[in-house]
Amino acid sequence: MKKIEINPMTRLEGHGKIAIFLDDNGNVDEAFFQVVEFRGFEKFLVGLPIEEVPRTVSTICGVCRGVHFTAAMKASDGVYGVQPTSTARKLRELFFNAHYVEDHAVILYALGFPDFVVGPSAPAAQRNVVGLINVVGAQLGREVLKKRGYAVKIFEMLGGKPNHPVAAIPGGWSKTLNEVEREQIEEWSHELIDLAKLTLKVFGDVVLNNPAYMELVTGDMYRVPVNYMGTTDADGMVALYDGTQKVVDVNGKEIASFTGMEYIDHISERVLPWTYLKMPYQKKIGWKGIVDGEGTSLYSVGPLARFNVAKGMSTPLANEEYKKFFATFGGKPVHNIMGYHWARAIELLHCSERCLELARDPEITSDDARAPLGEVTGEGVGIIEAPRGTLIHHYNTDEKGIVTDANIVVATTHNKGPINLAVRKAAKHFIKNGKVDEGILNHVEMAYRPYDLCLGCATHAIKPGSSPVEVKIYDQNKELLQSLRNF
Amino acid sequence: MKTKSLVCGIGNPMLKDDRAGIEVAERIETSDLDVDVEIIYGVGFEVNDKLMGYDDVIIIDAAKVGYPPGTITEVTIDQIFTDHNLVTSHAVTLGSTLKVGYDLFPDEMPKKLRIVLIEAEDYFEFTKECSPKVMAAIAKVVDMITEHFSRGEVCPLH
Repeated sequence: MKKIEINPMTRLEGHGKIAIFLDDNGNVDEAFFQVVEFRGFEKFLVGLPIEEVPRTVSTICGVCRGVHFTAAMKASDGVYGVQPTSTARKLRELFFNAHYVEDHAVILYALGFPDFVVGPSAPAAQRNVVGLINVVGAQLGREVLKKRGYAVKIFEMLGGKPNHPVAAIPGGWSKTLNEVEREQIEEWSHELIDLAKLTLKVFGDVVLNNPAYMELVTGDMYRVPVNYMGTTDADGMVALYDGTQKVVDVNGKEIASFTGMEYIDHISERVLPWTYLKMPYQKKIGWKGIVDGEGTSLYSVGPLARFNVAKGMSTPLANEEYKKFFATFGGKPVHNIMGYHWARAIELLHCSERCLELARDPEITSDDARAPLGEVTGEGVGIIEAPRGTLIHHYNTDEKGIVTDANIVVATTHNKGPINLAVRKAAKHFIKNGKVDEGILNHVEMAYRPYDLCLGCATHAIKPGSSPVEVKIYDQNKELLQSLRNF
Repeated sequence: MKTKSLVCGIGNPMLKDDRAGIEVAERIETSDLDVDVEIIYGVGFEVNDKLMGYDDVIIIDAAKVGYPPGTITEVTIDQIFTDHNLVTSHAVTLGSTLKVGYDLFPDEMPKKLRIVLIEAEDYFEFTKECSPKVMAAIAKVVDMITEHFSRGEVCPLH
């Protein structure tokens, strides 16, 4: 048996590797998505006052800093037995939607689009954000980065501090808006809507109008039928900041609905010996193994999952795109994982529209942004939809609100099983008779990029001269046959 | 017209030596030096947003290059740019980010940019205290930055 490793995987956040095992005929026998990084943040949080946790967990990741901040803030509401005032909630949502725009934009243009715009078989040195700019033109590149920058400005203005937010308080939000700031955010929100429209046009021109790419988007090689989990509002529309968590099965039938601490009754995590990342599954179905199709207990989260569990989008322009999305695929649920990229672009539009709606809300400049604290309850759960999918922060505290136990379930953890299936499926489709080249391996890597992985990153190290992508091929006796590396 | 100057510290404040750039920036912020200071926890495109509009910028970051811990090095964008394959945990490398910035916004990016790296010993432990060798390097870099902006001259690093 031969073994191929893609280590570390490129264009995701954090480090992982893919191990592909070939049989004696050179076809794929098995493939695993392994996480080799261990963060241990849950232990680190024990002993902190719960009100300090949002500011601390925002350092889990330099990219998705605002989502950990928001989930922990919601959990702190629970610990102090308080609900935010209406204004505080709207300020939080405005902050959160701006964060979505900057995050989705960079994920699409830097991580997802290069495979399509530059081409899935193009040399790796070109298949990246600069290669993308070379194809679409510097003017468009400038426009995208400028407009995305307005989302970052909103994030910073509301977060109260550049780059990493500090404005969370239990039951409130410490940074209120004056009229001048509100007008500025309203103006920037128009730019965000333009950015989203531009992004959907790029996706339409490059992908939807290209029959070869549509084969990848709608083909079986990237189709992973599993259950889906996401959050909806009272009208059944996609909800990002708060709502009810819904789960639908592979046929789109609702099989679970829960909020807050009830997540424990619905989600179990299976520890596997070959990865640090636990593999969650739907508890009421029970562990069925790493399998897809009818009866599987694995589930996906993220933009495609949110689309599959909801009835639509609450904003008008995004809702039109939502309808077009399902019309193109021919109904619900959509199991084609390349749909994640498209759904992400539509959510970019939705969040931009929400920024404008909230900036125009008369209540947004009210000073009533903090509710009186209640008694310490000793437990709080904050569930949000992070750009990558459902994010759960669960804390127990002592009577003074000092954290005694923490459990964080991130989107990439939820998606662990489906990512394995996607990689296995793509590997089996593209690797035949032992033929492996860079283009083929990239087609395998394209199977995890839709999930917008974040493997618990926190640090970075400049490594001049290195671009660590390594492929190792072993024979059936595990002796190294070939080593390919670009560093 | 007055030169607009910036010191930009990059790192994770919770991770031992990874916070070296932040430590430098915090010390400059509380000094008498007449420069703006930015602290950034990532190396994505938001770095360019912070740099644009400034004339003279010094970036300080921790690095794991392979030198003895505490070694101070100064590099160019080309030296930290390998290719645009995005392989680090922050999705985009600092080299890629800066190169994209200068390619797309040549008139808005700083005319003068220095990138100073401090070799980390340990950037995995959760602590706000850097290792002794890195702490010593931080003090030297603060002196170097003070010299740079006080006299407008580049002083030797070693």
